[in-house]
Amino acid sequence: MAEPSRAGLPASLAAQVTAFAGRLRQRHGFLIGPGEVRDALRALDLVDVLSRRELRGALRAVLTAGPEQGRTFDLEFNAFFRAADQPPPTLPPLLPETPAPAEPDPDGKEQEQPDREPGDPETRPEPAPSTPQAGSDPGSDLPDGDALQDGQESQDGDEQDAPVMQARVSPNAAPGEALRVDSGDLGSLLRAATGLIRALELGRARRLRPLPRGSKLDARRTLHAAARTAGDAVHLRWLGRPRRAPRFLLVLDGSRSMGRDATLLLRFAQALHLRSRRVEVYAFSTGLTRLTPLIRGAAPGQPLTLPDLGDAWGGGTRIGENLLKLARDERGRVNRDTVVLILSDGLDTGDPALVGRALRDLRRRSAGVVWLSPLAATPGYRPVQRAVAAALPHLDALLPAGGPDDLHALGRRLRAARLTRGAFLAAPSPGP
Amino acid sequence: MIPAVQELQAAFQARGYVADDALATALRLVVGLGKPLLLEGPAGVGKTEAAKTLADVLGTRLIRLQCYEGLDAQSALYEWNYARQLLHLRAAELRGEAAGDDDLYGETFLMPRPLLQAIREPRSAVLLIDEIDRADDAFEAFLLELLAEWQITVPELGTLAAVSRPHVILTSNRSRELSDALRRRCLYHWTEYPSRAQELHIVLSRLPGINETLARQVTDAVHALRALPLGKTPGVAETLDWASALVSLHADHLDAESLHATLGAVLKLREDQLLAAPTLQGVAAKAQARG
Repeated sequence: MAEPSRAGLPASLAAQVTAFAGRLRQRHGFLIGPGEVRDALRALDLVDVLSRRELRGALRAVLTAGPEQGRTFDLEFNAFFRAADQPPPTLPPLLPETPAPAEPDPDGKEQEQPDREPGDPETRPEPAPSTPQAGSDPGSDLPDGDALQDGQESQDGDEQDAPVMQARVSPNAAPGEALRVDSGDLGSLLRAATGLIRALELGRARRLRPLPRGSKLDARRTLHAAARTAGDAVHLRWLGRPRRAPRFLLVLDGSRSMGRDATLLLRFAQALHLRSRRVEVYAFSTGLTRLTPLIRGAAPGQPLTLPDLGDAWGGGTRIGENLLKLARDERGRVNRDTVVLILSDGLDTGDPALVGRALRDLRRRSAGVVWLSPLAATPGYRPVQRAVAAALPHLDALLPAGGPDDLHALGRRLRAARLTRGAFLAAPSPGP
Repeated sequence: MIPAVQELQAAFQARGYVADDALATALRLVVGLGKPLLLEGPAGVGKTEAAKTLADVLGTRLIRLQCYEGLDAQSALYEWNYARQLLHLRAAELRGEAAGDDDLYGETFLMPRPLLQAIREPRSAVLLIDEIDRADDAFEAFLLELLAEWQITVPELGTLAAVSRPHVILTSNRSRELSDALRRRCLYHWTEYPSRAQELHIVLSRLPGINETLARQVTDAVHALRALPLGKTPGVAETLDWASALVSLHADHLDAESLHATLGAVLKLREDQLLAAPTLQGVAAKAQARG
């Protein structure tokens, strides 16, 4: 299958590609091993390496594994393999010479994000996160050069390129901050997650599957078994409808108003993920971000550390827009086995009509939509927030989530309320 | 002889499929490196069509495995013809002969399913494993062995190595997260909706008799629709269906009447039709003003 190597390849190209792959692995955590590097080098034999587009396409096909990685790849490729007629990346004037850090701003981000720990070195700015602005196509912002620069300069200038990358990759112009969430109560939250999973019964699947006991004879397997007994169907095999295991879609409001409740619910999302692989987690503030890969990669028992989530954490609240974006863009992740959990206080600055529209769509396609609100745990709570009021007709339950006790009671409350279409709207907790 | 990227692109274009540089390069590597390609993207952007076109370009057979929840290895690999086996047993019994395993589990009674067909093809086929995200984790894990070793094990026959390595294309709509193990075994390409110019090119290629003005108006309208928060965003197939419906009504440009009559070809949800009404009125008014 392999083709003979072409003559005339730039002598240092293999070394450059190896260095580039290492850079993607070290800076952005791409899963690139020796096999991928070997394939990347083999791919060079199959494309015109003097065509920038072909080289980029080949390396992207081999070295990336998802659309998020694709965007990061393009930025790094453009920084690493600069066209000969392109000037090296320039930094904003004075940035490297900034004489001293600015005075701490009392109204700055530290106050906007109360869960961060200012004194903790772990919460210092992280390298460029791999969550660039959606829709941008940085891969096309440089011309298709006919020749590649040697690339050595790029390797030497890694540190110089880094701030440029930071500024281009991050949704925020300024370097973002990591989010560090302590996981001291993980054991307790795991019990709550187990309770929730056990409490949900979604009925039986429609498709028949082989089961030890079932409602229908499995003719194919019975005949197969009969072949071993000279054609006599001694051992009957059955088909039945297995129970539908729930999937979870958690949509977490990470806006300022959620305060510490947001981190509690984030830990709960991590616990739920540890108990079931069928969990998707999103966070939103003014923008929406998928957290599932970050939570999946977190070590259990260790503090949950997330990179700067940009406009998905610690800002204002746009519930309707983000739920609508979720319902539209992540449509495939919601099916009749999916229980949608929206974790929000409902304090919104957006259009509440969008909330109703998004929830109507989500509810139609899911097993049920449950809204968990920290405010609902307060005595005398009434669901009068505009977003909550707009959502109410489309919810299967509105339940309190004011602390660990509410999360422990979640499964019990859902079971008591019987998660069936339109059958319940659980009353908020009367409070302590 | 494996076509170069530009030749592949031209061959696709000749068949009405506009493949951008990145997709053409990825397909070139599928053939050249012998690695599977994972094609992801929204529904309706032409992922399945890319595999069909590749088979056509290479002049080889397309073997398609449509994935679904509950798909098991047996259904995808092979099946024994149990009814014939039982008849064979009875006949042997009547003749006073003993039927051994060699008689029962041979080619006569083997019914190959897509995966077995693909590795037994004398000439490399294009194996399309469509919507892998619909299959269960267990089936995905089962595929790993096939995609890595290019061999499968039939308990009664032993291990069967591929006669020729198929060109494998897996598609996914991202309804489920695929494992890192599967991703690492594949090349990867994310497919987006085509640009306006590309989509116009597709329409003109696929529907040679269409009026160019109409094709342009349809393409513009579809792109305006895709900017709306629709429940079901129209794909390229819907664009072609819509244009085809208009051609069949002998329309040479979009107007309010033809748009109303053919709206169901492009918007499949009542809510989407209501949401898009103002946009489409604007499209029709603009088209009439130009006409």
